Amino acid sequence: MNHTIHFKVNGERYDLSVPGHHTLLQVLREQLVLTGTKNGCEAGECGACAVLMNGEPVNSCMVLAAEADGAEIVTIEGLAHDSQLDPLQDAFIEAGAIQCGFCTPGVLVNARALLNRNSDPSEPEIREALVGNLCRCTGYIRIIEAVKMAARAGKEVAG
Amino acid sequence: MSQESGVRSQESEIRNPKSEIRNPKSEIRNPKSAKHSIIGASPHRIEGRAKVTGAATYVDDLQFGPNLLCGALKRSPIPHGIIKSIDVSRARALPGVRVVVTGQDFPGFTGLYLKDRRIFALDRVRFVGEPVAAVAADSPEIAAQALELIDVDYEPLPGVFDPEFGASPEAPLVHPDLGQYECVPFIFPQPGTNISNWFKVRKGDMAQGWAEADLVYEHRYRVPHVQHVPLETHVCVAQQDVNGKITLWSSSQSPFAQRNLIAQALHINHSKLRVITPYVGGGFGSKAGVSMEGAAVGLAMHAKGRPVKLRMTREEEFYTTFVRQGLVAHVKMGMTQDGRITAMENRFYWDGGASTEYGVNITRAAGYSGTGPYFVPNIHVDSYCVYTNHPIGGPMRGFGMAEMHFGIEQHIDQMAHQLGLDPVQVRLKNCLKEGDETLTGMIMHPTGLSECIRKAAEAICWDEPQTLPSGPHKTRGKGLACMWKAPAMPPNPGSSATIRLSEDGAATVSIGGVDLGQGALTVMAQLAAEGLGIKIEDVRVNTVDTDYSPYEWQTVASRLTWSMGNAVLMAADDARTKILRTVADAWGEDIDDLDIIEGQVVSYKTEEAIPLRDMVIYGLQRPDGTWTGGPVVGEGRFMPEYVTPLDPETGQGPRAVVHFTTGAQAVEVEVDTETGELQVLKIASAFDVGHAINPEMVKAQMEGGAVQGMSTALLEQLILDQGIPRNPNFTDYRIATAVDAPLATENIIVEVPQDDGPFGARGVGEHPMVPTAPAIANAVYHAVGMRLDSMPITSQKVWEGLAKHTS
Amino acid sequence: MRPFDYIIPKDHAEASALLAEGSGAARAFQGGTDLLIRVRGGFIRPERVVDLKRLPGMQEIRLGKDGWLVIGAACTMNQVAIHPLVRERYDLLAQGTASVASYQLRNRATIGGNCCNASPAADTAPPLFCLDTIVELYGPGGVRRLPIADFYVGPGRTALQRGEFLTSIHLPPSPTGAQGVYNKLGRTKVGDIAVMSVAVYAWPAATQSGLTWRIALGAVGPTPLRAPEAETALAADISPAGVVAAAQLAAGASRPIDDIRASAAYRRDMVRVLARRGIEKVLDLTGLRDLSGLGGAA
Repeated sequence: MNHTIHFKVNGERYDLSVPGHHTLLQVLREQLVLTGTKNGCEAGECGACAVLMNGEPVNSCMVLAAEADGAEIVTIEGLAHDSQLDPLQDAFIEAGAIQCGFCTPGVLVNARALLNRNSDPSEPEIREALVGNLCRCTGYIRIIEAVKMAARAGKEVAG
Repeated sequence: MSQESGVRSQESEIRNPKSEIRNPKSEIRNPKSAKHSIIGASPHRIEGRAKVTGAATYVDDLQFGPNLLCGALKRSPIPHGIIKSIDVSRARALPGVRVVVTGQDFPGFTGLYLKDRRIFALDRVRFVGEPVAAVAADSPEIAAQALELIDVDYEPLPGVFDPEFGASPEAPLVHPDLGQYECVPFIFPQPGTNISNWFKVRKGDMAQGWAEADLVYEHRYRVPHVQHVPLETHVCVAQQDVNGKITLWSSSQSPFAQRNLIAQALHINHSKLRVITPYVGGGFGSKAGVSMEGAAVGLAMHAKGRPVKLRMTREEEFYTTFVRQGLVAHVKMGMTQDGRITAMENRFYWDGGASTEYGVNITRAAGYSGTGPYFVPNIHVDSYCVYTNHPIGGPMRGFGMAEMHFGIEQHIDQMAHQLGLDPVQVRLKNCLKEGDETLTGMIMHPTGLSECIRKAAEAICWDEPQTLPSGPHKTRGKGLACMWKAPAMPPNPGSSATIRLSEDGAATVSIGGVDLGQGALTVMAQLAAEGLGIKIEDVRVNTVDTDYSPYEWQTVASRLTWSMGNAVLMAADDARTKILRTVADAWGEDIDDLDIIEGQVVSYKTEEAIPLRDMVIYGLQRPDGTWTGGPVVGEGRFMPEYVTPLDPETGQGPRAVVHFTTGAQAVEVEVDTETGELQVLKIASAFDVGHAINPEMVKAQMEGGAVQGMSTALLEQLILDQGIPRNPNFTDYRIATAVDAPLATENIIVEVPQDDGPFGARGVGEHPMVPTAPAIANAVYHAVGMRLDSMPITSQKVWEGLAKHTS
Repeated sequence: MRPFDYIIPKDHAEASALLAEGSGAARAFQGGTDLLIRVRGGFIRPERVVDLKRLPGMQEIRLGKDGWLVIGAACTMNQVAIHPLVRERYDLLAQGTASVASYQLRNRATIGGNCCNASPAADTAPPLFCLDTIVELYGPGGVRRLPIADFYVGPGRTALQRGEFLTSIHLPPSPTGAQGVYNKLGRTKVGDIAVMSVAVYAWPAATQSGLTWRIALGAVGPTPLRAPEAETALAADISPAGVVAAAQLAAGASRPIDDIRASAAYRRDMVRVLARRGIEKVLDLTGLRDLSGLGGAA
């Protein structure tokens, strides 16, 4: 049985027909071809599929697409505004917090959500906020540093 | 420095090896303040923007349209057995199923060093998860249903689940036909046994060695199977066109090796198989060689032109592609009371799993490295690769070195403690220095090993009193381990590169190596920019398409910066020479008076300048109106020409390997003595990289390797219960998270130049994972006086040891 | 994933009727963090999932009659963990919910789902057991309530009957001065399933020690367990020696097994350690800790 859902993704409105058992991750990647969000485990453990749903981060592999009716979704593709990168994206490049890049979209989404709810997180708070984003390449050191950099940059902008 | 034609050397780049210890917080450098030379600067990763915006495309992101078929593999549920029958008729009949294949369709053998593997099991299964059939269907749901409709009848056979047992005469044979398998000349299978390779080192006089020792100590160490856990699981798409040409889009470290091995296995010409590798989401060795890609190609060959995608689920990733071999190591050492090693007798039983086509070389590498990075005059090493009915052991970051050093580095530590000596001093006394003979008779090249040991120890404040623990029931300790590793390759692995200039003056570098995240694209861009004399912003580096890219053996062995870097430099120099010849001709000048600086050809004599874009395609007009030059393409290649075979009985030979990268890590830990939990306070890494082309990326490898090493040390084990994996998922196979990462790291670059490396560079991708586990184990010993001789060092294991200790 | 239909029932009665279909054809769905994994793994094969989240009251947290706190079963872990009333009056529960997995998973995992999944390792369970929780169920026979200890029947099994679902969790008014500590041990430092866990809860009362105690254990039995002997012992004696003895009694109340996560022996001893640490912390928080015994052997 298919469901018609009306939702917003990265500010764009979509009307889609989705099978009941398809996850939000599948629909984003396969129907909307927003392939920035990654499939790392399909079990809610690795965080590679994280997106913002109504402003809060969720593992999209654990959300049924049908549930997204009426929701506002932000994926990695929606983090930048026009050609202006999110300060986190700039910081990740600057800090060398990317290697293979596969965890990066999920980490950035989750980090953006962290800074939205806590603009000046401590290091333990950053680590804990990212505990559900597995990274095998970087060892997390530069990721943590990049989040701190972006938080600092945000404070400077705020004045 | 090498004077090979075309490879520019920079004598002035040898850095003063004084203290390089920096505050980690200040190590994130602003590249705008970098020096004039791009070599030794740390420009941002060139594909960074693509990766942070989600624009970077991995294989599962490629779009193939509505005709894409979903592939799925039917797998053996038992670890060892005869296939009595397979009935695929019900699966074939299911609507939406387009292809069903079995081992009957692809009976050929394949393998990198030993051809002991088929794409699908034919008559026998040898591990839980071995593919016995495959389907391609219109949707994943139909494919899953089809698998359930395939009926396989097995007759179970007794299994082998331990490598020491497997090597004994009592063990059933996993590969009775071992004697008939093709293998490369430097691998020595033992037909009629489960030993698929036996590497021996015999050097010196063991009796004398033991006699000279004041202490002889023997112990056994165990390392279980772990898995690489790349965030992107194995995935590929295969399609055969109407002319029989197959395209394979593959998340691979080895597009050319995949082409080679699959073409051989399927008896097709290399030119009929094209492998394309876009971005790869981590590999760590698991995506070297071939694992499931042959099955996808097999399906495509029957899919009447439709593309077939095969993607491993996370569960499949844990045990059906490659795992790291397990190891049981018997280490025996003799030492004088002043800490000099007199003899070593080591036996390594490698749990190679159901196929050791790759693992045989890991066994060999451990053999020729089998003393650890020390000078030992009397040596006996036996390194056995043993078949078991476990998942397939293959290359994982370190290629046997992490497993092997776990035992050796604890052993040296233990003996130092027993003799009342400082373990750091004992290492400094025995570690290899330039000119020493290694266990295979190779003369050690210049190396910064001693410097690495000293600096790592210093960074952890080795000689200072232990800092106070953070609370009650806690105690702290420090440990150090050092290591060496050579790129483990056949004697003739080649790299090649081309550089094409275009109308905008930019350069496109084509290579066969893959960026798995280690930064290969960026480093090659730096080398090309430096070699040509252009800005790095004007360099693009292609990902691999075997139809267009020049050959690269594999992206393994920490070889790209060194080997492929040489090829790129040579290509840059070739292009540069062609450019300067053209300008010299057009301007009537001497080529030695010309240079390329930031994309301009300049004459030192006349001070004339011309931007590259004005002449790299169209050439230049001479004064008489004729034209000279044309499109500029530079080419380069590199292959080491000096590796010698080793005597099969003694392991001796003038040059076993191309070179060794050496290093050390020092770790400080805090142990909760009630719960056994470990907190890693600090990991200090020091590695001799010859010359850091991109220092920040080198440090990023040190951090990533240290944390991956720490994760395997503390958390990881593929739990196999009579061959059945019990934890193939993230719930019960835990890896280090952001909370588990050490509280502090320090990354020290030591530079003792590599004579034939680009600007003196040597690889470092694998090495930072090697000493971490023994360094942690040594730190635990220092903290609580307990030796943990098996991995992982879980909190429960520490608790059990403490309980035994105090009782 | 094997196909299934997704249904949003319009009211409790329809939800109950859908779930009453036999042989697992219909499954309750809220956060899906347990259900979807089991469907993917082929362990269950529902034909339809019934989304209970949008039923009235399921996502609410409100003060009920007589000062009880009523938490809708579909409230997420994060919702519970940050709610001012939970933090103020039932901080122990906030601790338990905040310890689950990761922040993003806690935006989906629900307190009701945690109870109904009935893993002995559930992180909400030891706190809920300490808090004398009542669960409210809706089913074909109407509404019924059960103490939480009666709701957990065995590993993965609850008292839910055919067609029933959990609608809300009721917490009695929090005693003045109550303090609680939830300690859990995982293989990784944060975010793991509990290898074992201990909730310690106490409030000022007219006992010998001045406190009444609740101690509940997770992942060391077929269900979460209380440790009544330890509770009684502490009510009488909170001296350092008494604390040690009570922790030993708590360990004695556990019935752990060996599995791939840990051994029974380790789990049992960790109950002793984490119970002692929890008791000491609660005593610190209530200001009743006898520090003169500091430094004594554990």
